[in-house]
Amino acid sequence: MTPPDNSRRKKPMNSEPFHVRFKNVQKSYDGLTLVVKDLNLDIGKGEFVTMLGPSGSGKTTCLMMLAGFESATHGEIVLNGRPINNIPPHKRGIGMVFQNYALFPHMTVAENLSFPLAVRKMPKDKISQKVGQALEMVQMGEFGDRYPAQLSGGQQQRIALARALVFDPELVLMDEPLGALDKQLREQMQFEIKHIHQQLGVTMVYVTHDQSEALTMSDRIAVFNDGIIQQLASPDDLYERPENRFVAQFIGENNELGGTVDAIDGDIARVTLDNGDKVSALAVNIEGAGARTMLSIRPERVIIDPDESRVPQAIGGLVKELIYLGDHIRCRMTVAGNDEFIVKVPNAPGNRRLKVGEKIRIGWITEDCRALDAA
Amino acid sequence: MVAFWKIRRSQGFRAALLTLPPALFIIFFMILPLITIIVYSFWRTENYTMIPDWNLNNYATVLGQKTYLTFLWRSFIMAVCVTAISLVYSYPVAYFIAKRGGRYRLILVLLTAAPFFTGIILRVTAMQQILGPIGLINMAMMHLGLEPIKIFMYTPFATGIGLVYLWIPFMVLAIYLSLLNFNFDLLEVANVNGAKPWRAFLEITWPLNWMGTAIGIALVFIPTFAAAITPRFLGGVNGALFGNILEHEFGATGTWALGSAMGVVMFLICLLVIVAVWKTINLKRSGYTGSLIGEQE
Repeated sequence: MTPPDNSRRKKPMNSEPFHVRFKNVQKSYDGLTLVVKDLNLDIGKGEFVTMLGPSGSGKTTCLMMLAGFESATHGEIVLNGRPINNIPPHKRGIGMVFQNYALFPHMTVAENLSFPLAVRKMPKDKISQKVGQALEMVQMGEFGDRYPAQLSGGQQQRIALARALVFDPELVLMDEPLGALDKQLREQMQFEIKHIHQQLGVTMVYVTHDQSEALTMSDRIAVFNDGIIQQLASPDDLYERPENRFVAQFIGENNELGGTVDAIDGDIARVTLDNGDKVSALAVNIEGAGARTMLSIRPERVIIDPDESRVPQAIGGLVKELIYLGDHIRCRMTVAGNDEFIVKVPNAPGNRRLKVGEKIRIGWITEDCRALDAA
Repeated sequence: MVAFWKIRRSQGFRAALLTLPPALFIIFFMILPLITIIVYSFWRTENYTMIPDWNLNNYATVLGQKTYLTFLWRSFIMAVCVTAISLVYSYPVAYFIAKRGGRYRLILVLLTAAPFFTGIILRVTAMQQILGPIGLINMAMMHLGLEPIKIFMYTPFATGIGLVYLWIPFMVLAIYLSLLNFNFDLLEVANVNGAKPWRAFLEITWPLNWMGTAIGIALVFIPTFAAAITPRFLGGVNGALFGNILEHEFGATGTWALGSAMGVVMFLICLLVIVAVWKTINLKRSGYTGSLIGEQE
């Protein structure tokens, strides 16, 4: 997993007016347990924000509250500066794409696309012009007279996308829209949706449980777990600078080493691992000296046989398994009691061949090892 | 021997074996009686005996004499009104049960058919006990010192109420079964696309459940059009319908041939109504996908 190229992303400025704001939003279905706990989220105009999280994390509930299908138990949802808690869905003017496509089965493709325009009382000639444009945008110009049942899943999802965009909404919601498609089609559609977003400049709120989808498409990602946004950040920040253990584990591949904090020295935490080895790490989310911590290191940031003058905290490890993957070798090791410790060794000139059962020294640059909560 | 088993196990033989019971059923209980009635309708009755001299006089009587046409027209109007009222009343009931019934759906929908646990005479008599001059409603009115409601007492209006009461479970059931397979999420989709709830109903719910609704319409229209018992019990002296006259031909007057001709006319009108209703069903427009799969490229 490499962080995606971020140079073309437009980062929302703090001064920019937000398009959507969740303010202290809570949601409970039964009055006892909160599915969404005190959600605060500002989404800028034209931004592509993904709500990412495992099932049951509250991400879909948030989307449904924004669409108007669910009401917030507490708090306020603001759209274009206007609270919309009491506005019914049909007056919100939001485009939406559903996971199961949800095309009207008794209408042709063209009639499906006309629907949002017809209910807005647009004149007939304008409607057919807009429908034609929308079909061209998703490369389905030929299919206007077909019924949904005559289309493949991928084609149906293109039509669903076109229907969500045809009435020029400023905000488009997507609820796992690619979940039912096969991998290849999904990746192709990810790029198409991204291009459409860049082309139209609409605000998009996208819900998925697929992290690679989130990393590929989003300006910012809100990682949900247990009804709370665990971290809201750009894809590269999320991958390289996770703020807690859940995010570190959920996004990309991660190695964990448990230990106790001995001391905090500015940004640096001195940690004694469970096997007694002493290392230093970046203090990110720890309570203080004496507290338990989980160190988080990405597999590609581990250095084998480090130059100990540059990387002071080298520790020992035992090679358990090697998998040859061409461009790199995936090495599973036992390190400080963790026998699922993964190291990606680039297949580069000068790197020595490891052998199973070999005892080696590993290390890392202090900044690459993040001391996180042990919860 | 081997060849014999091959034949026995062949698809055609098995299909024929499976088709036989329903085919026999339809022949004995539908086609034969129908043919008998059609044949009789061209005969003549004299002194309670059928005389097979072929003629069209019975049809000339039914379709030519004003009395018969009036009763036919009355029955038709009654059937249209009763069907319309049943439809308007049943849709919300079926909708509520299908959408909000939860695990009680089946029980609720069976309860709408609870009156069927008793016989039709009993049910019509029960209606009499509610609407009649000494019935529940009018007794209560009189106890309260009010005038009894005349329109409930042995009028075509009372017949209408009785017929709605009798046949409404069919309508509820037909619409309910259709709504069971309806994807209610499509209404949310319509909402988010800007449609108000009533518009979503008219453009999504109604067309996608039209087939079930049409079946309900046919199921209520046909027995109402042929009704005889209900108008006899509730309709009073001026409330007779075509079914009563028809019944009469087979009973007191004993003119079976004329009665048969009336039956054939009634059958043809029902057939026309069914064909008219069927013509409004477009399989593609009802969201039915089965027949379209072959057309997929």
